[in-house]
Amino acid sequence: MYPRPWILFWFFVICCHLYLDYSLYQRWKGWSRGMKTGFAISRLKMPVVRIWLFEVFLQRQLFSLSVTRWLIHQCIFWGFICLTFLSLTKFILLLLSMISLDAGLHDFFSQRAGYPFTKLWGDFFGLILLAGCSGALARRFVFRPVQIVHDQTDMFLTVYLLFMTLSGFMLEGLRMAVSPSGLDRYAFIGRLFMPSHFGIASDTGVWLAWTWIIHAFSGAAILVYLPHSKLLHSLLAPLVIALNAAEEQGRKDMYWPKTRQYGPTK
Amino acid sequence: MAKDKAVRTDKIAAGLTWRQLVEIEACARCGECLVWCPAYAQDPRESICSRGKLASLKRIVKSGLGEEEQKEFLEGLYECSACGQCHIVCPVRINTHELWEQARESLVKAGIPQPEQQIKHLAAIREFNNSFAKPQAERGLWAEKAWRAGLLKEPVRLWKEHTAPILYFAGCTASFDPAMQAVAVQSARLLQEAGIDFSILGPDEPCCASKLRRMGDPGFADAAQQRADLFHEQGIKTIIVSCAGCFKGLHSDYAGMLPASVEVLHLTEYLDRLIREGHLRPSRKIPMKVTYHDPCHLGRHNQIYSEPRSLLNAIPGISLVEMRRHGPFSACCGMGGGLKLAKPEIQKKMSAARIRQAEETGAEAIVTPCQTCQIGLTIGIEAISSCLKVYHMNEVLVRSICPEAGREHIEKAFAAKEE
Repeated sequence: MYPRPWILFWFFVICCHLYLDYSLYQRWKGWSRGMKTGFAISRLKMPVVRIWLFEVFLQRQLFSLSVTRWLIHQCIFWGFICLTFLSLTKFILLLLSMISLDAGLHDFFSQRAGYPFTKLWGDFFGLILLAGCSGALARRFVFRPVQIVHDQTDMFLTVYLLFMTLSGFMLEGLRMAVSPSGLDRYAFIGRLFMPSHFGIASDTGVWLAWTWIIHAFSGAAILVYLPHSKLLHSLLAPLVIALNAAEEQGRKDMYWPKTRQYGPTK
Repeated sequence: MAKDKAVRTDKIAAGLTWRQLVEIEACARCGECLVWCPAYAQDPRESICSRGKLASLKRIVKSGLGEEEQKEFLEGLYECSACGQCHIVCPVRINTHELWEQARESLVKAGIPQPEQQIKHLAAIREFNNSFAKPQAERGLWAEKAWRAGLLKEPVRLWKEHTAPILYFAGCTASFDPAMQAVAVQSARLLQEAGIDFSILGPDEPCCASKLRRMGDPGFADAAQQRADLFHEQGIKTIIVSCAGCFKGLHSDYAGMLPASVEVLHLTEYLDRLIREGHLRPSRKIPMKVTYHDPCHLGRHNQIYSEPRSLLNAIPGISLVEMRRHGPFSACCGMGGGLKLAKPEIQKKMSAARIRQAEETGAEAIVTPCQTCQIGLTIGIEAISSCLKVYHMNEVLVRSICPEAGREHIEKAFAAKEE
């Protein structure tokens, strides 16, 4: 295997997390300056849950506005969620394995029968995220619809996600070069990033260590960036959608309109 | 100086609800609001659309804005008819029009006033209890004049003289504006045709005060409560409102103030019910191709889309064609939210754009059940010298049911009285 600065990484993760917690607390303090309005929990009935699931996970409203935009957003959304889920699960299982509470799951997913599954999962959703980010950049720079705002922070987020995906694939390719295994074929995208493909035969171990450091630390740094970026909407939009659905759940014109038949203002 | 700014920032935040403060930060900046905004279409500046306003408001409640930025934000905030189109298309479902009205109020409370024209208008409402700055004693005169001119089947009685099952609430425009009094007369006549026992408050009818809410007057809540108490004290159970703005006021803005037993209906809802139940029968043929304009206060804000259309379809000879933008996507004529007062030139362009949409359908006339929209659309027609006619829904119904109460007859009779 290759050296990884785990202690430094965990320290970094804890610091980033504390910063995120502090930022969200500041946000909450800011919101609590507003007038308190009652919210009847009894309003959260089945139609609200249905609307919420459709609006948050399937992004039905985006679909009704533009199929292309919906596809791009769905790719980024599911790619990001599923890769984050994979990384978090692996990280938690690693921690649990250190105190022997993982019930053998860490080994199962990192070395035994579960390994191909994690490879397939990671590469598939990595590819999805890559497609989504590429689509978003193409939309921004090639198709340039009228409503695109050239805000540098928005652009940075897309580039960041693209960077994280590519560095993840690169890490996988380098890992395969350092310790090849018969199961490598399941990393169907990562194997394309093996150094041999690029005619590089230098010290891959050093490359691997540095790529891991860059990928892992950049991944954790998103916790710091999240409250200051467009990514905040990934936390707040589901909340606002739920609040609005609770209030306007009966509105067919709001939740199930045939938007595309109308066309925007001219 | 920095401390003053922080105090003002906190004051503005305190004037919004916690949910609205969350909404401000939840914007994904997708810009869908910009694409559908009828005001942005006429004045394409980022500060006009919801995305721009949300970004500025976010900075205001956080750290305040510089003088120039604040000026630009205020222009955008008041160059908005609060039509609610952005709420319908927003993928995050930010309740924008409620937010803009609340933000206006919050800014006023923090010492940042509305545009001059709006201030004058609001002062008139507060002083005279109507937006026309006329004595309240004149409010019910339309009913008396109409009865004397033979435009009604029977005199319209005052509530204090006859406690009827239904109160007809005419509103300021139909009561005071000579060009719009036909709406009140025709509403009363249609109710009489259906044999409905109703009364009016006459000189006791208050302004609904909804304009205070639209333009962010902090006195709205108290004014609305006073009016709600008045209705309650008078024992009123059903209120029929012919003005879309007043309807939004009484039906939506007074929510929680009026007792649950009080039913507030828009005239189109009620007439549709009467026609379905067979109390009112449009019998004369009106051979005309028309298109329908959804007032924002009825459609998007109160989901009254089908009743006015079913009224039109009930009239023999009427052929209804829809504009490309209709129902929840109906483009605003620019008369709402005090925009007409703050930026009349934008309202003119917005209504002209709406008239062009109506012309595309090949209709001869555009029908709307809101007298304010009727005024706004007429401005659009004049702006582009369109041949299209604008009719209030009452006018079309009256022509089919009781043509002797048509607008021309009313205007003629009222003009003769004036002389």
